[in-house]
Amino acid sequence: MIAQRWQVMSDVIKNSARSSLNQQDSEPVLRTDDVTKRFGGLTAVDAVNIEVREGEIIGLIGPNGAGKSTLFNCITGTLSADDGRIYLQNQDVTSWPEYKIARAGIGRMFQETRIFDAMSVRKNLLLAAQKGDADIGQLLRRPNESLIARSDELLEYVDLGGLAETRAGQLSFGQQKLTEFIMELMAEPDLLLMDEPAGGINPSMLENLIEYIRAANEDEEATIFLIEHNMDFVMEVADRIYVLAHGERIAEGTPDEIQNNQRVLDAYLGRE
Amino acid sequence: MSASESDGSGLFRSLISPGLIDQLFSFCDDHAWTLLVIGTVIGALPPILGLKQGYYMTVISEMFLFAILALSWDIIGGQTGYPSFGNMAFFGIGAYTTAILTKDFSIILPIAMMAAAGVAVGSAVLIGAAVLRLRGHYFAIATLGVLLATQQVSRILDITGGASGKILLQTPSGTVFYYFFFTVLVAEAALVYYLSNTRFGFVLNAIRDDEKKATAMGFNTTYYKTAAWVLSAFFTGLAGGGYSLFNTFINPQTAYNAAWNVELIAMALIGGSGTVTGPIIGAFGLHVVIEYVETAFVGWQLVLLGLVVIGTVIGFPDGITGTLKEYASEMKYYERGGMAATDSNDSAEVASDE
Repeated sequence: MIAQRWQVMSDVIKNSARSSLNQQDSEPVLRTDDVTKRFGGLTAVDAVNIEVREGEIIGLIGPNGAGKSTLFNCITGTLSADDGRIYLQNQDVTSWPEYKIARAGIGRMFQETRIFDAMSVRKNLLLAAQKGDADIGQLLRRPNESLIARSDELLEYVDLGGLAETRAGQLSFGQQKLTEFIMELMAEPDLLLMDEPAGGINPSMLENLIEYIRAANEDEEATIFLIEHNMDFVMEVADRIYVLAHGERIAEGTPDEIQNNQRVLDAYLGRE
Repeated sequence: MSASESDGSGLFRSLISPGLIDQLFSFCDDHAWTLLVIGTVIGALPPILGLKQGYYMTVISEMFLFAILALSWDIIGGQTGYPSFGNMAFFGIGAYTTAILTKDFSIILPIAMMAAAGVAVGSAVLIGAAVLRLRGHYFAIATLGVLLATQQVSRILDITGGASGKILLQTPSGTVFYYFFFTVLVAEAALVYYLSNTRFGFVLNAIRDDEKKATAMGFNTTYYKTAAWVLSAFFTGLAGGGYSLFNTFINPQTAYNAAWNVELIAMALIGGSGTVTGPIIGAFGLHVVIEYVETAFVGWQLVLLGLVVIGTVIGFPDGITGTLKEYASEMKYYERGGMAATDSNDSAEVASDE
């Protein structure tokens, strides 16, 4: 069944054949240079350098209060960095407003699931597909058939077919999580930031979520940068992992390297 | 227990099947433009069939007027989630613009009407730049402040006639106002319905549900909020422009009527805010109730009106249209398998793969 789903996913969201991408040589989609964020006397993010290259799935882990979500907020423009620079597709976006950064190709799933409760599931998806600059003509145009078909196919793919006209707020937490995920796929982002995608969902859905994320990465060519506390999940899905503690970047490497990094173990055990 | 089981919608379960309501909404959605044309023809007929100028024509004209105001409020309050307590400011601005232009400058009525809408729009842009930075209660209080401030301005200016206002004797017949308010209502309903299925309409609803998420998705929400506010002001100003001549008198109390502002919000909420038909149904229904209790229960009208509003809000927490939609949608969801659907399917599939 999973194999069939992979095929369906390929048919649904693949826009072009995936090139043989050498991730090591690929361009950085996102780069932060010494990004720092302070809240009064507390330095939540301390001169953090990270690089996310095209086609990668990057994990960001760290104990509670390490500064992971704050770093995400700086990248998306929700918070402005006090020091350092943020580059998206080699463009300096440090001082850009949040909506402009999103239009430049960043999608974001929040820690607490955020969909538009009073709108139907379909309207959520159609809205997500239409972000970006629009002239008056585009604003007043109704969604075209291809977008509606794409929303139907993605809904079928994540087993939410038949719920297109349901009010999104009526869905269960897991269904809302999947809806938010396919909303981001509708938008075809260059970089998708996922803040704890595995949080609060049941084990069987977790298995599927791993497949969905991989499929989005491989077929949709979405570069993915995710925060996660579920270690099994992040070790399985990520190509590389960055580790933050007390706002500082303390490690970077493959899942194997991170699992055997003494500094990371110390940070999680509270020794740092 | 679902939300709707704890409120009055439980009554529906024994009376009407959710499938029937769902079919009704689907039919209305599929044939919305046809229904609008039929409604337009029906609404245009009474004067042609002999409805004369008088009490009933005035009441029906006022029903159209309040439907315009409720629908206009709903663009910013219901569709966008910014509960304005100051929409009547645009009504007053429109009313005074027409009164001054026609009486003091002898400008012909159509131009004066367009000027009324134009001045209301200009005011909305200026006021919106300040108040649309606020949300929720703060926005509501700020807009109420705007209404009181504009009322005070009209009270102290000479050109508005000060506290005494302006008497307008040379006005068109009641039939003209009947068709004026009716035409504006039909045009507004058609526009709001069309917009509700466009990218513009989707973004307004997204701002209402979660403005932070909408911004994170790349929408410049200030631009959309301002557009909704301006659209709301346009129709409210136009209605105000017609009202001063329809009423043959305008003063600060009637033009910037805070009680009316509350009334039109009640109309939108009772009918079902965030929908096209809801505010219209609410305006028609509540205005008829108001007219009835004001004539049949003199002295008790506000008490009875309050009871009607309380009863309706308890019975229909999302408004009449909203509660029915919620009921049909909820039942459909549970009929499909509800929350268990995705989880159980996924479990089965994962198991079979293994």
